[in-house]
Amino acid sequence: MSVGRALKRENNVIHLTYKDAIMIKQEIIQRNPLLNLGFENDYILKSGDFGAVLAYAGVGKTALLVQMALHAMMHEQPVLHVSLNDAVSKVDVWYRELFNDMASKYDSAEATEYWENILNYRFIMTFRVEGFSVPKLEERLTDLMQQNIFKPYVIILDGLKFDESGRGLLVELKELAKKYSMRIWFTIHTHRHEPPTDDGLPLSFRHVEDLFDVLVQLVAEGPEVYIKVLKGRSSEAKQDALLLDPATMLIKV
Amino acid sequence: MKCDDQKIRNIGISAHIDSGKTTLSERILFYTKRIHAIHDVKGKDGVGATMDSMDLEKERGITIASAATYCEWKGHEINIIDTPGHVDFTIEVERSLRVLDGAILVLCSVGGVQSQSITVDHQMKRYKVPCIAFINKCDRSGANPFRVIGQLKSKLGHNAVAMQIPIGLETDLQGVVDLVSMKALYFEGDNGENIRMEDIPQHLLEEARARREELIDAASLFSDELTEAILEEKEIPAEMLYTAIRKGTLKRELTPVYMGSAYKNKAIQPLLDGVTLLLPAPSEVENVALDMNNNEEPVVLSSNSGKPIISLAFKLEDGQYGQLTYIRVYEGTVEKGCTIVNVRNGKKIKVGRVVRMHADQMEDVEQLRAGYIGALFGIECSSGDTFVSPGINMTMTSMYVPKPVISLAIVPKDNKSQMAMSKALNRFSKEDPTFKTYVDPETNETIIEGMGELHLDIYVERMKREYSAEVTTGNPRVAYRETITQRADFNYTHKKQTGGSGQFGRVAGYIEPISDAEFVFENEVFGGAIPTQYIAACEKGFRQSMAKGPKLEFPVTGVKVVINDGASHSVDSSDMAFQAAARGAFKEAYLRAKPVIHEPIMKVVVETPTEFQGAVMGLLNQRRGMIIGSQDEGVMCVIESQVPLAEMFGFSTVLRSSTQGKAQFTMEFALYRQVPQSIAEKIALEVAQNKKTAAA
Repeated sequence: MSVGRALKRENNVIHLTYKDAIMIKQEIIQRNPLLNLGFENDYILKSGDFGAVLAYAGVGKTALLVQMALHAMMHEQPVLHVSLNDAVSKVDVWYRELFNDMASKYDSAEATEYWENILNYRFIMTFRVEGFSVPKLEERLTDLMQQNIFKPYVIILDGLKFDESGRGLLVELKELAKKYSMRIWFTIHTHRHEPPTDDGLPLSFRHVEDLFDVLVQLVAEGPEVYIKVLKGRSSEAKQDALLLDPATMLIKV
Repeated sequence: MKCDDQKIRNIGISAHIDSGKTTLSERILFYTKRIHAIHDVKGKDGVGATMDSMDLEKERGITIASAATYCEWKGHEINIIDTPGHVDFTIEVERSLRVLDGAILVLCSVGGVQSQSITVDHQMKRYKVPCIAFINKCDRSGANPFRVIGQLKSKLGHNAVAMQIPIGLETDLQGVVDLVSMKALYFEGDNGENIRMEDIPQHLLEEARARREELIDAASLFSDELTEAILEEKEIPAEMLYTAIRKGTLKRELTPVYMGSAYKNKAIQPLLDGVTLLLPAPSEVENVALDMNNNEEPVVLSSNSGKPIISLAFKLEDGQYGQLTYIRVYEGTVEKGCTIVNVRNGKKIKVGRVVRMHADQMEDVEQLRAGYIGALFGIECSSGDTFVSPGINMTMTSMYVPKPVISLAIVPKDNKSQMAMSKALNRFSKEDPTFKTYVDPETNETIIEGMGELHLDIYVERMKREYSAEVTTGNPRVAYRETITQRADFNYTHKKQTGGSGQFGRVAGYIEPISDAEFVFENEVFGGAIPTQYIAACEKGFRQSMAKGPKLEFPVTGVKVVINDGASHSVDSSDMAFQAAARGAFKEAYLRAKPVIHEPIMKVVVETPTEFQGAVMGLLNQRRGMIIGSQDEGVMCVIESQVPLAEMFGFSTVLRSSTQGKAQFTMEFALYRQVPQSIAEKIALEVAQNKKTAAA
């Protein structure tokens, strides 16, 4: 959809305006999860960089990363979402729900069309945890890239178990990211029974921490979920001001 | 015929194509002594499975039309509807599920939960059909029933729990351990008809105990009695456990899982026990009718055979003995000689023969009580019609019927074929609401419409085989639509003066896009610029224009028309004149309203061995497909995509040749989306070409 096709509905009638598409886009940009936390560029990670979101189960890791992915898709940056837990349809529901929540104020026909449009910038790949390996991922990637079907700008890797997968796999992934000029976001599931070290990182993550350029933690305090930066923030950064709405899992604006 | 309503089970067997449901039905009929020999699908004996009664089904090894049959097992009467597995025939599955009280969800122990299983599961959810699962093909290499149970949980969200564990797997499959009785069951004899019950083999004892714990744990949520027994560490009687599992199953909160191999005749009898013990009797299922006298208020039916009749015709078949109408009786008793009324047209019908079907053979019965499925002879109706006792005005809720997305022109070879063809088309469109037919007034060709290429293919084949109608088919045509994208004003005067009384009418106003209706007409004319009696004629004129868009002659949708001015003549204005004025006005404004073409987009799910993943993605991509994602399932992978229907013709052949025949796909309608400019130009060219040919 081009912006020129933006439509606004009123009593069932669509008037031609540019407003809605721009507004939806702005809404998502405003919610660009980490911009307010003092990162220098919009996408936070540079080519070959690793970023991770740490949290206990159910706090909103995937939701946060999906919002970042939507942000990239909006800027026509292809996102490859690799899930080791969920089926394609379930991952798709994450995107749909979060997008619909963001676009709920706007014309539904317009939002649907916009959604259809940005879908071209997303590819979901799921693996079984035991079946996942970097050569396999690379094989799939080359399948896609050689045929010009999809070339990811950013990869979201959801569900990798850091305590089990060891350093080797991440080193290989780092090489892959550099080779294809991609950046990779991970989710890291922390456990309540495992006390964090002084800098807030779980002990089981220590052995690979140096490979990561940005680390962000979600902390549930009372009814709020705060987003805190553990690593990678610039010196002029503001306070940890960002909140996640626990009801919608959206960044509060 | 026995009359214990608690001992009736109306069940369906639903599954992904090729997971063996027809083979399973065949075995069930054998063990319940309805047939005396087993014939396999595509079997070497050439007889074919009993449930696949159409020749075509036997040849292709798939089940096209539901065949209803009944059998008896341990004092219970089981009506089975064998449902088709291909998405193109989904209407059949939906119809069967509408009349069923329970279902067996058949899954392949190698393929697991496949795309079609997901579609079927959605349908079962829609009609709230409780189900038990059967993991078939445990004799195949790569069989892993517990992986499939995992998928039932993760992919379909079922609270699945094993009722059995296999004794051996793949070629070594010997039998199953029943986790309720904690006995090992072996199936012996030529057709597995002799069951040998023994103690559980030592090496499986520990696993069996653990799985039984899981089963009891899951069931305890539905029975306080069972929970108490667990807490008090008492012996748990089989009956108590079954009662709890049954409660969970009927609420659709628990899915008991049986396993075995229909082809190798292993563990079908315990599945039949499961059907009688765990699936509901008709009175345990809530069915709702709509009261036509009370603003279509829903009324819960009681399943009482003594009440007036309410029954639903869910399938028609043209058999060797005339038209057969399959019905399900919800209330009352349909007897030979009684009078029933078709609610749709109010016609009274006297019931002649009442039969119960066993694939294509039948058995005469005196009556069908509430909860029963049977068939009537010589009744003129369409499927989905409700039959009631005179004086009752209720209708069963209407069934969800998707709109056709593809059409095909058919031309009969000669006069004889022409007659046969119209007879066949009349029958098919009555049998299947997703199949439509009409004559194109311009080309004079007969057009058939349906849900996919295969869907129409099958009907063309059936025309040839069952009605000896030789027809040639044109290229399949996609159901494109036109719509406008911006507001445009019109001010059109229709004036004709060619002797005698003339024609005069002027209409002014605007058209604009509308998102959630096909057509809206608004009259904002004040002061009688257009006399009130001509407003309806204006609306009619605009409506007529919607049938064929001025751009490419596809149906137009999503237009709001507002008229706010006009003029009339005391002598020359007429309905005809204003209709013509409206048509002219629509034409005038339409092209300025930037019309675009929309095309049907299909959800295409391909399952392929991983080594062909790249090739399959390439194929989909070449077809303007958008790949949503790929799912790695070990040796197989599932690719989900959205592809324009226009690009899907011949896909099955290409897919087969690029994957050595190892991939399969399902396709269903997803949405309408705007056609890209370059394609729109191509379509315009094609339309122009067709017009030329038609004119010549």
